[in-house]
Amino acid sequence: MDEIATDSRIGQPVRRKEDERLLTGKGCFSDDVNLPEQAYAVFVRSPHAHARIRSIDARAARAIAGVLAVLTGEELLADGLKPLPHVPFSMHPAEIRLANRDGTPLFSAPHYPLACDKVRFVGEALAVVVAASVAIAKDGAEQVAVDYEVLPAVVDTLAAAEPDAPRIWEHATSNVCLDADAGDRAATEAAFARAVHVVRFSTQVNRVTGVTMEPRAAVAQYDAARQRYTLYAGSGGAVRLKDDLATVLDIPAAQVRAVMRDIGGNFGTRGMIYPEFCVVAWAARRVGRPVKWTCERQEAFLADYQARDLAVQAELALDAQGNFLALRSSNVGNAGAHPTNFSPLQKGVEIMSSIYRMPCAFVRARAVLSNTSPTRPYRSAGRPEVMYVLERLIDLAARECDFDRIALRERNLLRQAELPYTNPFGMVYDSGDYHGAMAKALELGDWAGFPARREQARRRGKYRGIGVANYVDTASGVPRERAEISVHPQGRVSVVVGTVSNGQGHETSFAQLVNEWLGVALERVDIIAGDTDIVKVGGGTHSGRGMRLISIVVLNASRQIIDKGKRIAARLLESDPSRVRFDAGRFEVAEGGRAVTLFEVAAAAERLGDLPEDLRGPLTAFSDETVKEASFPYGAHVCEVEIDPELGAVEIVRYAAVDDAGRAVNPMIIHGQTHGGIVQGVGQALYENCYYDPRSGQLLAGSFMDYTMPRADHFPPFDTHISEVPSTTHPLGMRPAGEGGTTPALAVVINAIVDALAELGVRHVEMPATPERIWRAMRAAAGTASGNSSTPMPQAQ
Amino acid sequence: MPVVSMQVNGQTVRAAVEGRTLLVQFLRETLSLTGTHVGCDTTQCGCCTVHLDGAAVKSCTVLALSCEGAAVTTIEGLASERGLHPMQAAFREHHALQCGFCTPGMVMSALAIVSRCGPDLDQATIRRELEGNLCRCTGYHNIVKAVQAGAAAMKEADRP
Ligand code: FES
Ligand code: FES
Repeated sequence: MDEIATDSRIGQPVRRKEDERLLTGKGCFSDDVNLPEQAYAVFVRSPHAHARIRSIDARAARAIAGVLAVLTGEELLADGLKPLPHVPFSMHPAEIRLANRDGTPLFSAPHYPLACDKVRFVGEALAVVVAASVAIAKDGAEQVAVDYEVLPAVVDTLAAAEPDAPRIWEHATSNVCLDADAGDRAATEAAFARAVHVVRFSTQVNRVTGVTMEPRAAVAQYDAARQRYTLYAGSGGAVRLKDDLATVLDIPAAQVRAVMRDIGGNFGTRGMIYPEFCVVAWAARRVGRPVKWTCERQEAFLADYQARDLAVQAELALDAQGNFLALRSSNVGNAGAHPTNFSPLQKGVEIMSSIYRMPCAFVRARAVLSNTSPTRPYRSAGRPEVMYVLERLIDLAARECDFDRIALRERNLLRQAELPYTNPFGMVYDSGDYHGAMAKALELGDWAGFPARREQARRRGKYRGIGVANYVDTASGVPRERAEISVHPQGRVSVVVGTVSNGQGHETSFAQLVNEWLGVALERVDIIAGDTDIVKVGGGTHSGRGMRLISIVVLNASRQIIDKGKRIAARLLESDPSRVRFDAGRFEVAEGGRAVTLFEVAAAAERLGDLPEDLRGPLTAFSDETVKEASFPYGAHVCEVEIDPELGAVEIVRYAAVDDAGRAVNPMIIHGQTHGGIVQGVGQALYENCYYDPRSGQLLAGSFMDYTMPRADHFPPFDTHISEVPSTTHPLGMRPAGEGGTTPALAVVINAIVDALAELGVRHVEMPATPERIWRAMRAAAGTASGNSSTPMPQAQ
Repeated sequence: MPVVSMQVNGQTVRAAVEGRTLLVQFLRETLSLTGTHVGCDTTQCGCCTVHLDGAAVKSCTVLALSCEGAAVTTIEGLASERGLHPMQAAFREHHALQCGFCTPGMVMSALAIVSRCGPDLDQATIRRELEGNLCRCTGYHNIVKAVQAGAAAMKEADRP
């Protein structure tokens, strides 16, 4: 074998293997897959937020030349399709369970791939037209006549929770489908009773959506001879997609193959099976041809899973010195039309006290159904919302009770010596240097130099503010993962994994692990994922589980390869396995200097028929592990903004981030994850909003014309720093680094905006903090203060 | 059906298309050049950016028939036997792509920025000029760096 690329080991900013393909147009995204004879699906979607389907008349559509089939919920039920198998909570052993406070079982309702009885949100699919071309299918969809009985709708989170709100599911007693308590109510009440200061904060965290730049697409094929379906569609993991599709089709999982190649973003909203994927598979069997569907952007806004949407009323109790005594909150999450996933609510509640010393806490957590697209985890599910609430409470406490906001945080932030620390909900933070992270962030953000910059901004007629936020994440997800390593005598190593890359660069960073442990050059490592005919086990990519779990199984499997290799090498080198050492891809006898390479050993294993049974044949090893420990990435961000008083426009002028990765495998990739995470968080804080009209239930932000996306000129360059305090619960010390960019970003942006405007008396600005909202907040505050309503201009001091 | 002929990445192509066929459909479906992507239906994401007679256009908003006799360059037409175009190489070097879906459009736009504004680009100019291209993964930070470095490398290589 040639020289070992030592610059590709763990810790190196290795340039990505996948890039050449993606930069030359040779990627293979979902819509790039085409099958011979494929037909095209177009969905008929509800124009109403809530309506009973009285009847569907598809005769005119079926009469169009080129239309192959029109399928509705009625046929779907007749063919025995089952509802989508949603898993409402994270079942990770480290996480809390939420159960109804009155002991009633969790509400459930069948989510069929096509609406059968009622449509429950604008854009819900109720029929599909399959035709020889997309254009013909669209013509057909226009001809499907649906007789709707329009029903009153409710979209707003708190309004939907009212007892007299229109009922989304008739078999429910109300739209509140989960009502749980978490924490210690009595202790919390006692703490509030003796508190010197109590700060209150209410907010509605805006609803956003994932907006992967690649719209979803799927093409499915049915092999009648083998009774087997193949689905090509990007998602969060292949094995889960296969199993879930089999559940919906009500067939054994072996009769389904799921394949995904390049995936143009996931962020959680694209993480699981979708109704359309099931329908194209079923339709492929019905029409006897492959069926393809490509989502258009407006459909994506309507029918992709959405996220966040949490109404919070929270209170923080402090003593005279500013020590936190207790946290009390009501969190109401908007689940949308189908009770699909409450894990953002769960994950938010369980770390709502963040990394501060909080003697007790109590949260009432509710999930409510509404006439909106169902919600799911989205980058850092549940945590950005609660970090925002807590960090806002701390800034409010500082201002209203006259504490310095840094000193108040320092006083309450957990010290390294206090870890492991069990938070009031029972979550155990293993390790970390929280004070170090905040200090570093303040240094990078030049907190000390801020007053001078504010003064300069005043002279330019701008309000300038700075904010800081600490955060913690909970990385959990499906605990089981598997890797299978094969050493091929031709000089390659393949690693089959159960995750998929949605842009995280696994082909590179996982190959770095192999380079580190087996000494194989990066170019010789093939990471194989995303095809269930090859990948048998694997939990997919979510909740910071990719590198965290793959590193463990690849390490275990590498060790087995080395152990086997030593025994084979001993035979080749006429020595004893105990005297063979492995280093940099070579087995050598310690004293002799004679050596054989890993690939020579693999060749010998295939060639030598008289090796012991367990060594004979291909040199392979696998590791299949269930990791019960969660991980708690943490960090601190500092953001600085300038506000134009006449326009209310915010400019982010500085942004510094410190995120702890425990041990960084590829710092270049981690910095990139942080940059992207920050922008998604800032997007929510300043721009993005899935706005449904409260009266009609229509989605008014249904295209890039109305849903504001963060763009390049919205941002300054970022100053990101990776901290590496090894995690004590991961064998290699790693912490996930994919979500930390987003987790504190909502908090830090709003804290900075309010800091800029605080001198006017502005107490808070809701998200998204649009120019209009800021302008109104400034005018309102000025009006209250002085009785006049003109926009105040900053005064040089 | 009417027939259209044009030069795509230096090759003459000729095909019958429907009047409503968009240039991006022609590239992806007729020519199987799937490097040009579709990310929206309102001409805002820039994933479909290609060069039409040297200028950047959003190929989702151009009719194929209107390109009669034109020269089209797509992402597939940039690299040569010598390897990646300097702008492509800069994107790899500066980790300016994650999922890679926006990337072909970003690179084509980056080249158009260089031809519009010259190779000595400051970051503010790049950010402003990229306003027609959306990326959901990278936070733009590394894209801006890559465009700047790629422009400088093109100047160096004198290969506009
Ligand atoms: S596909 Fe979005 S601009 Fe062309
Ligand atoms: S790299 Fe994924 S959208 Fe830009």
